[in-house]
Amino acid sequence: MTDIQETIVVTGVGVISPYGIGLDCLQAGMLSGKCCLVPTRGLYPGFEGTTAQVCGLPLPAEGSSSRYSRTDRLAAAAARDAVADFDCENSAFGESGVVMASTVAGLTEIDPGIVPDPTAWYRRGGLSRAASYPVAHVADAVGEHLDIRGPRCAVPVACASGAMAIALAANMLLDGAAPIILAGGSDALCPFTLSGFNSLQALDPSPCRPFDQNRKGLNLGEGSAVLVLETLAGAAARNANVLAVLRGWAMTNDAFHPTAPQKQGNGLADCMRLSMEMAEVSCDEIGYVNAHGTGTPLNDIAEANAYETAFGRRGRPLPVSSTKSYFGHCLGAAGALEAATTIAAVRCGALFPTLRLTNPIESPSVDWLRGEVRRQPLPMAMSVSAGFGGSNTVLIFASGRS
Amino acid sequence: MTPILPTITGIGSVSPHGPLAGLIPQSPLEPSAITAWTTAGLRRAFLVKPFRPASVVPGLKTRRLDRLSAWALVASSLAIKDAGIDLSQVDRSRVAVVFATCFGCVELTEAFYQSAAANGWSGTDPGTFPETLANAPASHVSLLHDVRGPNITVGSKCFAGESALIQAASLLRHGQADLAIVLAGDTLTRPVYEWYEAADLLSPACYNSEPLPEDGGFVPSEGVAALVLEPAGRRERRCYAHLSSGRWAAGGEPVEIIRQMLGGSIPSLIICGGNGAPCTTSPITDLAREIAGDRAAIVPSQAVAAGLADTGALLHLILALSSRPTSGQALLLGTLSGTSGDRGFAALLLELP
Repeated sequence: MTDIQETIVVTGVGVISPYGIGLDCLQAGMLSGKCCLVPTRGLYPGFEGTTAQVCGLPLPAEGSSSRYSRTDRLAAAAARDAVADFDCENSAFGESGVVMASTVAGLTEIDPGIVPDPTAWYRRGGLSRAASYPVAHVADAVGEHLDIRGPRCAVPVACASGAMAIALAANMLLDGAAPIILAGGSDALCPFTLSGFNSLQALDPSPCRPFDQNRKGLNLGEGSAVLVLETLAGAAARNANVLAVLRGWAMTNDAFHPTAPQKQGNGLADCMRLSMEMAEVSCDEIGYVNAHGTGTPLNDIAEANAYETAFGRRGRPLPVSSTKSYFGHCLGAAGALEAATTIAAVRCGALFPTLRLTNPIESPSVDWLRGEVRRQPLPMAMSVSAGFGGSNTVLIFASGRS
Repeated sequence: MTPILPTITGIGSVSPHGPLAGLIPQSPLEPSAITAWTTAGLRRAFLVKPFRPASVVPGLKTRRLDRLSAWALVASSLAIKDAGIDLSQVDRSRVAVVFATCFGCVELTEAFYQSAAANGWSGTDPGTFPETLANAPASHVSLLHDVRGPNITVGSKCFAGESALIQAASLLRHGQADLAIVLAGDTLTRPVYEWYEAADLLSPACYNSEPLPEDGGFVPSEGVAALVLEPAGRRERRCYAHLSSGRWAAGGEPVEIIRQMLGGSIPSLIICGGNGAPCTTSPITDLAREIAGDRAAIVPSQAVAAGLADTGALLHLILALSSRPTSGQALLLGTLSGTSGDRGFAALLLELP
């Protein structure tokens, strides 16, 4: 894709992560090797384990017409950060669309007290809290917060959601649905998901060890990332700073099992292949992969197999790491946060290692990044996401300088 | 706006009219009394009568699924059958599923909360948790039909159904799929119904057996509608409609934007979707008249589809097609409440054969 009407670029990145506010903060934290995963004691009923929390979340917007859930607040704050350098009075900005992913959404505001007598629970203050339950509310929170009125859509596709929101936004830009689209994901920690993953015995009580042969599961985190996407033509017309180019994107489904990935990773490998076809790049041109890498036994082996399939013909091993080892699995926000991390890697030429990776899965086509940050020019990198329900999404980012 | 031209070749639905392949026979439908939970006096809604999914789709197993997932499986199977598609002859890696929902798998979400209330958060049911995810219905559709293309679930205030149709059309247009199964729907449960009630959104017809009034709230509904979308001219098959283009936005000047989308033409039919009471005079019919004057036949919202709120668009469309409209251009229209000038809208332009 070379036509500037059909080239999708990233002109803003907003991040709310356990490191704090902003992509620079995330990047600096990761370059320093800081791990945000800490023991969670007494914060969530019935849960003792390891999570990565966001502290100092900005308060809801003044004058908001509806109650914001914690997920909404994370999303609105990330969106505000994404457009910090924008001329928000620009007419094109007012027509911007929003595509936001979330899995938790307003579940943060609901408790088991709703079950025996919903009407009584609503009378006790639950009415406005429950209004934030539909996932669409996250997209509305962003749109209302920034006073933009283009198409709004939410994407609740489990752990692939954040990346899928970016892929769908790119399609919408190609269709001319809006001049600019804010796309990303947001999810907050809450008892519902902590309990759910705990019941599945999917959690590592200690900080997770993605791709290690002794991995024991995942840790949950929270946060939000929002990318500002537009066509290169639109960005050029307003002389915007291009942070990265979204060269390729693809979505597939395993059609294998409601929760488990297909062991050979065929669906994920197809997704990688399709994204490279769209980007018109060979597997040798991908300099780094930010993996899904949850740290669960099943995900990581399927993903390693997918890399063997998709990159087996590569001339040298593929550098891969999981940044979930820094701030956990942020569910619907994960794909967006990892897209932001991939952009940071491309921008500063840094290949982030997986933390605590001492005994990697054997995978001859993969160069498992561990130890120190590797500094090198990085023209192009891939971000891989997968999730319950078998959904896969892969994004390829190139340097904005290209 | 580049035109998109996918064709609707199959229809399936699980609605208060029952599970059906193809068009829905035109018959008046009254709300039913709610019996699934104890109510303080009469409470009515448009409800899907209980049925055994395996009696409609032989061999279908739905025992541990949310009703929303079960209905998505039935509706998608009926739509594929209606389209006359033999999936064994199709490249299944090129088949997409796009599902729209507002509340997701709310029945099992409530069951999960129940298990937390009964056993504490450390004693919840691991079998229930994955089925609470909003994308569970779409993933079950992919599993049942072994289709491995993009599998997308979307939510959008008032316009989830329209959004799903537009996203599916976009996948076809960009060559990311050769065929798309588009679904939209929700289930009605006690917390959802009582939320509508507490928010004072319900019609008086929910509380008595009088005929539906034309305003003053809506009657909640439930169900899942499914459409099969294929690129135009791919097969020698029945065509219900071509989808020419679509727009939706949370605000703006709908008349101006829709006129721009129409490119100077006036549709012969405007199907009023949207939620709320099925009025002959409402903001949405006013908008339809503003667009077309008296040159278009205007079909008001259908109560049974309007009751699906965010996800009613597909059922509105199926009901409109079921009335066997004459060929020509049709506009499926939905709006958000707001001032007449600046308000959210969705508009899908269709060519009826």
